[in-house]
Amino acid sequence: MTKATVLVSPDHSRVRIDLGGEIDLENAASVEEQLAAAIPNHLSAVTLDLSGLDYIDSVGLRILFALAARLEVLQIELQVVAPIGSLARRVLELSGFEAIVALDPKRTAAS
Amino acid sequence: MSSGEDRLRRIELVTDTALAHLAVEDLLDELLERVRSLLHADTAAVLLLDPSSTHLVATAARGIEEEVRQGVRIPLGQGFAGRIAAERRPVVIEQVDHANVLNPILREKAVRSLLGVPLIAEGTVLGVLHVGTLTTRTFVDEDAELLQLAADRIASMTRTHLTELDRATAAALQRSLMPGTLPAVPGLELAARYIPGDAGGLGGDWYDVFTLPSGRVGVVIGDVVGRGLQAAVVMGRLRSALRAFALEEDDPAEVLERLDGNVQHFEDGVMATVLYAVFEPSMERLALSTAGHLPPVVASPSDHAALLEVPVDLPVGVSVGPPRRTTVVDLPPGGLLFLYTDGLVERRRRSLDVGLDLLTDAVTVDEVETVCSTVLGRLVGSEHVTDDVAMLVARRLPGERVVPLDVVLPAVPRSLAEVRSALRRWLVAAEAPADATADLLVACGEACSNVVEHAYGPGGGTVAVRAVLEGGEVTATVRDNGQWRSARGEGRGRGTTLMRQCCDDVDVTTGVAGTTVTLRRRLVREAG
Repeated sequence: MTKATVLVSPDHSRVRIDLGGEIDLENAASVEEQLAAAIPNHLSAVTLDLSGLDYIDSVGLRILFALAARLEVLQIELQVVAPIGSLARRVLELSGFEAIVALDPKRTAAS
Repeated sequence: MSSGEDRLRRIELVTDTALAHLAVEDLLDELLERVRSLLHADTAAVLLLDPSSTHLVATAARGIEEEVRQGVRIPLGQGFAGRIAAERRPVVIEQVDHANVLNPILREKAVRSLLGVPLIAEGTVLGVLHVGTLTTRTFVDEDAELLQLAADRIASMTRTHLTELDRATAAALQRSLMPGTLPAVPGLELAARYIPGDAGGLGGDWYDVFTLPSGRVGVVIGDVVGRGLQAAVVMGRLRSALRAFALEEDDPAEVLERLDGNVQHFEDGVMATVLYAVFEPSMERLALSTAGHLPPVVASPSDHAALLEVPVDLPVGVSVGPPRRTTVVDLPPGGLLFLYTDGLVERRRRSLDVGLDLLTDAVTVDEVETVCSTVLGRLVGSEHVTDDVAMLVARRLPGERVVPLDVVLPAVPRSLAEVRSALRRWLVAAEAPADATADLLVACGEACSNVVEHAYGPGGGTVAVRAVLEGGEVTATVRDNGQWRSARGEGRGRGTTLMRQCCDDVDVTTGVAGTTVTLRRRLVREAG
């Protein structure tokens, strides 16, 4: 069974979301719902931290691409943290995600 | 005819040895018929105690056949038949009334008078034989004696029959529960033996080997305390329960902990020793936990066979004890694990240590069938062994450094995580660096997702993943046997691109028998 954790830490007009575990076909829809629920449209910035993510496939990528596109429309800033050498970073790099959102190697402290 | 002669003739009729060739059920019917006519009764019936010894169950009847068809059950100690069995003496009822007869069929049939005697064999009550009349009748002592004579015959016959039945059932059960052929496991050579003991044959020993969805292999040896059918039946349940827990849990200690909980809850008064070991898909390592079982023997090409020193936890079914422990053991190529039950090494008038020494002397890193024969030759030989013996040998094949991974799972989303966990462990054994590990996980994941989403209709099917390491390159194949349909949606297109980016080479072959995706990735890519 594929298990993912979505940990949401709201901070006034910002929110940090820690994605952990694994995302694939089995749980992608559930992860997508949890992400949507974690981001109300009054926010100014979202930090998505993938440091704890052990696996993500193209179905998971689709969620991130859709999220990035949606946040752009809403004019909410998106920051994605993916450690160098991690599987998530590798997949994001290969898929061209960086062309939309710059990848931070390390989490910056929530302000 | 004098009453003496008549009495003799009557006795002969119920002890007639010519009846012995009849099958038990027919013999019972024939005896009941003779009893009924000799005693001028209208009904005759045999009720036997059920295995729980709490109820009498109608087993054969004349004149009141409904009793058997409806499976009449009388609680021990209650009513007419229940009293006979509980008090172990004949009971006569001249006038049947509702208070002293529980059996509704006797009431409906308007049986007026009853005579019943206990069926006793070797001091144990097996049931009740009774006759009844539709008119009021005073049964005399002579009637009771004759009925008791017939009852004794029925009792001894029933006892013999039940014992034979127990033995035959236990043997059939044991046969059906032991894996006839052990699963073929790449990289592992397996052999097993089960030898029934001399005294009454079967017991509760068992061995088991099964592959797990993760590509790991579980091996079990266990011994349910006790003998005969009861032990064999409990063994069957424990074997199934352990398999079920093995599917849910990776850690052997946790599997045994759950088995223990199961035994304590469902198997009153049962105790068993069990050893459960799980081989990594690479076969180079195994994790094991033992619940009071004798230590396994391990041998390797460089080391003489020795008992494995592992912490031993409580047998299952005892009580709540300290947490169970799992020990991880490395197995070099050609190394061997030998599991056995106490019947192999325990002999009267010989210390256990002597038996264990004989065993470690006999175990070598030969071919597993040879190991079995050698051990049995040395430890059992021509001796009479009272206890049953089970043994299981698993040898890691020499030569191959990394055993190919083979995983076959249902093509459903939940299998994707299983494939990844198997592949991760295999890639560790293959000493794959982080980037190659990530690439192969993603590429195989994409190929498997394709199978899950597109290969099968509602009927479903399987996805088979195989990985082989050769000359620094991993070749992974993802195979289905369905009718591939072209990918749908933009996510799939991205998946295919990702798969190609992660590999040095991707080949997709579609045929009538299904689709095979072959992925190649060197463990270390040359710079540039």
